[in-house]
Amino acid sequence: MNYESLIDQLAEDLAPVRPRRFWVDVAIMAAIGATELFLIFAIGFANFDMQRIRDQPTVGWRLVSLATISAISGFFALRSFDPTYALKGSVRWIVAIVAVCIAYGVFLGSMPGGWSAIEQRLEWANGIECASHILLLSIPPLIALALLGRRGAPTDMRRTRFLVGLSAAAWGAFAFVFACPFNDPLFIITWYGLSCTLVVLLARHLLPRIARW
Amino acid sequence: MAEDQWRNSMIAALRGDARAYRALLLELTPWLRSYYAKRLPMAMVDDAAQEVLMTLHAKRHTYDPAKPFGPWLVAIARYKWIDRLRAMKETLSDEIPEEIAAPDTGESFGSAQTLDALMSRLKPAQAEAIRLVKIEGLTVKEAAERLGQTIALVKVNIHRGLRQMSELAQAEPHEL
Repeated sequence: MNYESLIDQLAEDLAPVRPRRFWVDVAIMAAIGATELFLIFAIGFANFDMQRIRDQPTVGWRLVSLATISAISGFFALRSFDPTYALKGSVRWIVAIVAVCIAYGVFLGSMPGGWSAIEQRLEWANGIECASHILLLSIPPLIALALLGRRGAPTDMRRTRFLVGLSAAAWGAFAFVFACPFNDPLFIITWYGLSCTLVVLLARHLLPRIARW
Repeated sequence: MAEDQWRNSMIAALRGDARAYRALLLELTPWLRSYYAKRLPMAMVDDAAQEVLMTLHAKRHTYDPAKPFGPWLVAIARYKWIDRLRAMKETLSDEIPEEIAAPDTGESFGSAQTLDALMSRLKPAQAEAIRLVKIEGLTVKEAAERLGQTIALVKVNIHRGLRQMSELAQAEPHEL
């Protein structure tokens, strides 16, 4: 096809479009997150009361860490859907934040009575159940981010898919905190970490297929 | 047409002004051809430029009217260029398509300059294998004979070299 006829065809096909707005994408993701939280409380999967917060000293650490990781990586993932946005440096900051969050968990776990009987503390059966719940809770934000990425034009797919996966995974884990009865930092770092890694790997394979342009 | 005019035409196009859009795409065509002539073998230039025109159309909603037009255009053109470098790597085979070994033209001088800049950063064996197979159009077997290497080694060198070229292009766009 020559240039003239291609351009004629494109001009003929032209329809008004509304430019993509970053804050609209943020609002969509916030709405999806809020809906998911509402639903898991509505169906009775999650419950949250002050007694549990007192009984589980790691709840605050989990909620703050996961919300921070999800929000920051989600923010940069959405920004990266703009083709002119350069992600350089932001991934390093996010990895540093994740490392600090994990380090704080290790600190909590190393308190008296800490690292003995590791195998017993990991509680494999419960751990696998926790990881599968987190995986499921991560799917809605993962799909939403992937679809927003498809509508956008990410130019740094390698970093974008990492951020999308991390944000969705951290959100899934954050939502699961409200249903998780376990308090041992070793258990949490292991099983939450495993499920988050799986979601990041899933995003790594899924996103290029959905959002490639 | 200056960049400001391109920007105004794009804003009009977002509102559905087909005439402004057509004029814009016509103005962009020589720029795109020149952009790819400096970065790709000549036989690929028109395909790449036309692909970008279609991409601009499909992704026009990602242009933010509050921002300059140039960086948006360059970001898309660059992304498609890197995509082509990756595709060259992925389609590596013994048989080289005819168009890769297309006759040279004057414009390929610019292309050679950018390719040389990228290839000068590779190991000599990788650069030589890419030059023989991807630019001169030899088969992998012929290149292996000329270089005195095995076919597998030539393939590995081309594969690694192209991967490094696309990484360099992604990491240091402004130097290229």
